[in-house]
Amino acid sequence: MILEKVKNKILRILAQIFLLVYLFISIYPILWMVFYSFKNNEEIFVTNPFGFPKEFHFENYVNAVSQYNILNYFKNSVVVTLATIIISIVFALMFSYAAARMRWKLSQAARVYLSLGLFIPVQIIFIPLIILVRDLRLLNTLWSLIVPYAAFNLSMSTLIFYGFYRGIPIEMEESAVIDGASIYRTFLSIILPLMGPSVATVVIFIFLGAWNEFSIALILISKESLKTLPLGLINFQGQFSTDWGAMGAALTIASLPTIIIYLLMSERFEKAITVGAAIKG
Amino acid sequence: MYSLPVSWICPVNAAGRYGFSALRVVHPGFTCRRSLAMQKYLSNKMAILLFTLPALILFTIVVTYPILLTVQKSFFEWDGLNTPIFTGFENYINLFLDDDFYISLKNSMIFGAIITVYQIGIGTLMAVLISNKKQKGAKIFRSAFFLPVVLSITVVCQLWISIYDGHSGLLNKIFEVLGSSYRQDWLSGFNTSIVAIAFVNAWQFMGYHMIIIFAAMKSIPEHYSEAAAIDGATPTRAFFSIIFPMLQETYKICLIFTITGGIKAFEHIFIMTRGGPGTSSFTLTMLLYKSVINLNKYGYGCASAAILLVECVLVMIIINRFVAREQISY
Repeated sequence: MILEKVKNKILRILAQIFLLVYLFISIYPILWMVFYSFKNNEEIFVTNPFGFPKEFHFENYVNAVSQYNILNYFKNSVVVTLATIIISIVFALMFSYAAARMRWKLSQAARVYLSLGLFIPVQIIFIPLIILVRDLRLLNTLWSLIVPYAAFNLSMSTLIFYGFYRGIPIEMEESAVIDGASIYRTFLSIILPLMGPSVATVVIFIFLGAWNEFSIALILISKESLKTLPLGLINFQGQFSTDWGAMGAALTIASLPTIIIYLLMSERFEKAITVGAAIKG
Repeated sequence: MYSLPVSWICPVNAAGRYGFSALRVVHPGFTCRRSLAMQKYLSNKMAILLFTLPALILFTIVVTYPILLTVQKSFFEWDGLNTPIFTGFENYINLFLDDDFYISLKNSMIFGAIITVYQIGIGTLMAVLISNKKQKGAKIFRSAFFLPVVLSITVVCQLWISIYDGHSGLLNKIFEVLGSSYRQDWLSGFNTSIVAIAFVNAWQFMGYHMIIIFAAMKSIPEHYSEAAAIDGATPTRAFFSIIFPMLQETYKICLIFTITGGIKAFEHIFIMTRGGPGTSSFTLTMLLYKSVINLNKYGYGCASAAILLVECVLVMIIINRFVAREQISY
């Protein structure tokens, strides 16, 4: 009996140790970055590499913003992400409703067709995408990003919405029809308001994908003023290679929005991830 | 308009009305004598077209058409501007003769192996630890472990470039503080660069897998672990004999993510070493990128892309066949 208790106690302590060690591994690099964004080079390299900054060198932040277009990259990312979310969600809501409710011969096939997008690695369409964007004359506009992003997110969005639509009892539409409402009216006034939680889930999914997307932006955007955040930040590699403080400042500024959004809505994020994984299974 | 309650006409809907939603089966082809108005509503051709066409058109233009184009152009030699010249399988033959192709294959496997073990292994461990109800601060741990996932790839890569830095990086500084004179230029070694980069990816996305596994664990009904505890099983025994098998479906998904992730690996490698030193940290996508952007060999790039697609599909088929073969229902 006592042996049991001792064994359990040891396991608990071990568990605690593992958790704390990994907490350190997970968080300290980020903390280190924020710390050195406030330090000058001497402090980073020699005197105080690990700890809390002894003096706060805010000029790092001023340098980062003034010399390197961070705010512009930010703006581009916001525009692209917002547009992607809106287009993808609107198209997906409409499509899934028709697939879930309406009666037409190809509905099953169409659904499977869209869901194939889940399995396709984005890389294989790099080349045609370049050609396509060039031919559609979208090269070096933000639309060249928005259109592919929205298309790729359709698969996941339609699948998630389809599931939710099936959960709405058909009585909703029936009572609307009895009252003489047209399908458009019913869709807008009755069904859509019910889809709130699923839309929130999908928004988070698309946000994560579009905000941090790098490869497609890399090959489609070369104009400096149009670069999104992930793309623009790699410019700092050459320019900042000796000024770590300013680079740290740039990285911290770039990370703040997502970190804050995440901390405020962590439950939603986790729910979105699990729904996404369940769909792929 | 019809004002008969629909349940009079359609017993199945009646069951639904009274809350037996499990009995309600709404198939598109299900012929139930719904009211005529309802049938008209559901078959409204105009609405169907209006609702489905935008998504279908967008998807076809951006996804389907390019994939077909990629496969088609892989049989041509092309510089992206002039007319393509048909060359049959020449691109593929060159690919199989290319050293970089085999380096990419090797790197994909190393990358995939590292992130699989790290992300799924540590992910499971952490999921188990934080799912313990008596664990204090479980929520904080959960958020902290997931945090790297929401960071931008560029931020993470830049951060780790500075951690790996040969002179003043965090890693080497730690060795310095511990008194050792061990130093490494972590990203410059011919064999170590891919490993170092793989760890960055593993570090960033471990939280993602942890959450998936955690959610799956939470959905396993309590009474299984309770029964095990009553029967006197230790926590480890309970985990390996009961919970672990039930997570097979979940592991299948995680495995597909990690292994195809290794095959597709590009962003971290590009940002951190551009495939270097030399081409030692190349992967297939990097090969694709170089063919197109640096060498203007579009046909060759398409062939790489086609091989990549084949590899990913193969991996998915193999994993589906060999993992979680039995259906576990509870």
